[in-house]
Formats: sequence, C-alpha cells, structure tokens
Amino acid sequence: MDHPLVRSVGVTETDTLFRTGSGTGSWERFEELYRSSRDDVYAYVLTLLRDPAAAEDVTALAFERAYRRRRTFDRRRGEERAWLFGIARNAALDELRRRRRTATLVTDPSEDVPDANEGDGAEVALRRTAVQTALARLPAREREIIALKFHAGMSNAEVARVLGVSESNAGTLLYRTMEKLRKACNATA
Amino acid sequence: MRLLDQDPIDPEIAATLDAIDATLAGEPVDARYAELAEIALLLSSDRPQLPAEFARSMDERVGRRFAPAPDSAAAVKPPRRGRLTRRFWEAGGALAAGVALVVAIVAVAGSGGGASSMSSSSSASYGAVGTSSSAASSSAASSGVASTSARAPALAPAVASASNKTVPSAVGGPPPSVAGSSTGQPLQPPTTGRKVVQSAQLNLTAAPTQVDAVAQEVYNVVGQVNGIVNSSTVTQGGPNGYASFQLSVPSGSLPETMSRLSQLTYAQVTSRTDNTQDITNQYNATASALADARALRTSLLKQLANAVTTAQVESLTAQIHDAEASISSDQATLSRLNNQVNFSRINVDINAATPPPPIAHKSGGFGIGRAAHDAGRVLTVAAGGALIAIAALVPVGLVVALLWWVGAAVRRRRREQALDSA
Repeated sequence: MDHPLVRSVGVTETDTLFRTGSGTGSWERFEELYRSSRDDVYAYVLTLLRDPAAAEDVTALAFERAYRRRRTFDRRRGEERAWLFGIARNAALDELRRRRRTATLVTDPSEDVPDANEGDGAEVALRRTAVQTALARLPAREREIIALKFHAGMSNAEVARVLGVSESNAGTLLYRTMEKLRKACNATA
Repeated sequence: MRLLDQDPIDPEIAATLDAIDATLAGEPVDARYAELAEIALLLSSDRPQLPAEFARSMDERVGRRFAPAPDSAAAVKPPRRGRLTRRFWEAGGALAAGVALVVAIVAVAGSGGGASSMSSSSSASYGAVGTSSSAASSSAASSGVASTSARAPALAPAVASASNKTVPSAVGGPPPSVAGSSTGQPLQPPTTGRKVVQSAQLNLTAAPTQVDAVAQEVYNVVGQVNGIVNSSTVTQGGPNGYASFQLSVPSGSLPETMSRLSQLTYAQVTSRTDNTQDITNQYNATASALADARALRTSLLKQLANAVTTAQVESLTAQIHDAEASISSDQATLSRLNNQVNFSRINVDINAATPPPPIAHKSGGFGIGRAAHDAGRVLTVAAGGALIAIAALVPVGLVVALLWWVGAAVRRRRREQALDSA
C-alpha cells in the first residue's frame, strides 16, 4: 500500500486565523470546536494508540496545543476540525515515537477487543466481536483511517486533509481497509 | 505531493465509498454492499466512549483556558521534551540573531574604516601612477637619469628613477580640512641612502577676495618650516585673481609643508602632484669624476715639479688648468645636486573661483545647512548600515529556514515511521 509521507494539512505554526477579530470571538470559536470534537478526538486517538491513559493525555495535549496555536489557524488551508485532528495526530504519533524509544509495547489484540453490547443478539454480538477483532489486528495506519472515518465521523475529504493525501488516495485507502476488514470478518466467521 | 493528486478514483471504489457514506447517513444501500454496510455500522457504533471523569477534567481545563490548576500546577506542565525543543529553538534563534548582529556591527565598523581603505587605494594609485610615470620619465634617459633605473632594476619599485602622484580634488568638493586629510598625507620616498629629489605641485582655489589672504598664509607656512620663496606672483582683482609661488623647503619638512598648504583656511585643494626623482647614479658619477679630476691634478702637480723643460712646464700647466676646471665643474654639479636633494621645490598656484560654502576649520560654526548636511550623512550611513545588516541577515535567515525545514521534514518522517512500526 502506498503511504506517502506528507504532512498533515493545516498544522503548521505559520498558519493564521481562528480569529474573528476580538479575543472573545476567538475563544468562543475554540470552545465550540472543543464541544463538537472532544469525543471524536478521544475516540480517534484511543483507536490509534490502544491505550486509554495515553489517549487521555494526548487528547488533552492536542486541545491545549490547539488552544495555544488557535491564532495560527488558516481557514484557507482547511477546516478547523481537520486542523485540530492534524494536531491530535501529531501528538499521537509523538506518543508512539516516545513509546518506541522507551519500551516496546507488547499488545495482544484480543485484549483490546471491547465487550459486545449487551443489547445485541447472539448473531450481532458474534459479528461485532469479529469486526472488533479484525480492527484490533489492523496495522496502525489502517486503524487510523477507520478511526477518522467511523469514530471521528469525518468525510473522505476531511480524512484526506488530516492524513495529508489526496481525497482519491484517502478513498482508496479506506476502500482497501474495509475490504481487509470484510475478509478478516468472514475468515473469523 | 499526493495531496495534489487529481487522479479519478476507480468507479467501483467510488461506488463502495458512496455506499458506506449512505449507510452512515442512514440511507438504504444496494444489497451487494450489505456486508460492508454492516461492518460500517458496527464500526460506527463501536466508537470508544470518553470516560466521564476525563470529560469533566477536560471541561474544567478548557474552562480555565488551560491555565494551571491552583492545586496542581505541575500537572499541566508541558512535556519536558516540548520545553527542551522550545528552548532549543529559542536559543538557536537568539544565537542566530546575535551572530547576525555581530556580523552587522563588524560590517558597519568595516565600512566606517572606509577612509583608511580609500587611503590605501590612494597609495595603490600612487604606485600605479608612479609606474606609468617611470615609463614616461624614461624619456629622460638622455640625461643619464634613466640609466639609474636601468642599472638598478632590482631595487625597490619606489626607487624608480622618477615618480609622481596626482590627487585631483574637484572644486566644490570636500572642504579643505577634508581634502587636506586625504591629500596632505606626507609622501616619503624610501630612505635607503639614495639621493632623491622631491618636488610638488599644489593647485588651490580661493574666493576672489581671499587670494591675498591665502598668499599670506602660504608665506606664513614657508616661514614656519624655514623655507624659501624663490619667486611669487600675486594678482588681485575679481574673478581673475591669481597667485603663484615657487618655494624651496627643507626636504625633511616637505610632508609637513604640503600638509599645511593643503589645509589653508581660505583655500581649497583642487589638485596636488608629488614628484620624486632618483639621482643617485648621477650623483655618484659626478663624485667619481671629481675624484678622478683631483687625482689627475695631483699627478700633474707632481709631474710639474719634476719638469725640466719649458715646454713640459707649459703643457703640464695647461693640463692642470683643465683638471681644475673639471674639478670646479664637478663640485658645482655636486653642490647643485645636494641642494636639490636637501631642498624640495614646491609650486603653488592659487586661482580665484566661486567660493564654496564657508567652512571654519577651527571654529565650531553650526547652521541649518550644516545640520542638513550632517543629517544627510547620518541617514546615508544608517541606510548603508541597514543594507549591510540585511545582507548579513539574509544568509543567516536562509540557514535558519533551511535548518527549520530539515528539522520539520525529519520530525515528519519519524512520526510516519512511528505509525508504521506501531
């Protein structure tokens, strides 16, 4: 799979904006972004890191960085959500790098599989477990695109902006990952 | 960059993606996408939930605008690595700025020394002019002077048979004091025991009403250095005022004399020419001829004492007379050459001209014109300094930008590698 090493869009410190003139307006915009994206950012980071404690730290750090850099946001380079997720992505990748330096994380994907919903029927529960297992076994890069699409609720264009790839490239990545998940689920079944 | 990739997506992939989007939007999809739609729904419904405790903590922090909590200031301290990175860049920026500042100061100081540089270049032009003049003066070979340089080519270049230096100064140019500082530098031929004749020509301009005053200043200078006014002509009368002097001053005082004449209060230097001529060979030849003549006379006198016939006596007497005449001639020549070496000739011409703005050398007169002039100078120097600073800062800025770009690229690659190896 082709994974171009390009920068997440809208994350540069030289961007400008988030400003609506007064500082109060800027803060309100940020608060609105926080309210609408808090859960999504956490879900995305947790799916990427598979470590709830680290996900909390990274989520907090991402929002704090976004707050500090809110005046550097440039709408011409993307929407606020893509900008925020770019920051969160960089923070999460830094966390992955830190982990790799300090210790090798040994993770059994089966341990990460959450329990099935209590309300599910047996067949649905079985299917859900198969999907969760398949997701847990995906490489981080593919987990990331699933997290952005289904956990953060992003459009393909937004996913592309966060990953720094073209929309068609992001679509292709998503398609391949979904096909991989489908085959893994069928194999499990 | 892939972001700019506008390749159309495969229709099958596009249809699948549309089906996924439709599923997430709660719309029905074609049966062939049912399996993917189910997976999409399961993935969407399995979104990790934010812990309530963390959500409250985050809300509080955002409510405080990420200010440190009163009871846990250290809890929100940025990561150590981040602090170190920030400090690194701050230190790097400060260092780069410091280097740029030092470079700018050195550059400005260097440009401030432009006067000395100009003096150096003036000396260089002196050498150049002297060389060409040497070639020109080779026309004097018939006088035996050129043979000096021909027989001693290995001597220092400045010991060429003759040289001169001309320093023009435009009328209305710098004030006399300034001109004097650049043209009044004493020109000293090398003191290697050679016999060197020095002379100078100085052309001055003065206000028509100041010609006599300048002439008096010339007299005063000559008197101060124990020189001689060989001849002088002073003509007063409006724009045709003119003065000319032929001076002889002790060669040791020539530099001082020229310096003073170049800084006369009411005159302005328009040009100055310094000449030197090496007459060592001519001097030595004359001295040798004198010695030979004296020896001959001594020999003839001895022969005369032993002469026995009248014819011998008359012949020897005639030869002795010739020898003495030769001795007298050689002595006169030596005396003239010594006089030329010991006293330098200076020709000073003073022409009346439209006076430049009056400048008091020794008084601190200050007016609007001078203030404007000084302000212009300050602005010029400041602009020059700023230009030099920019010239120094641009490469430094480029290096910093390059380092930043390389650092960002490396960081980006490491992040992607961390994702691949996770």
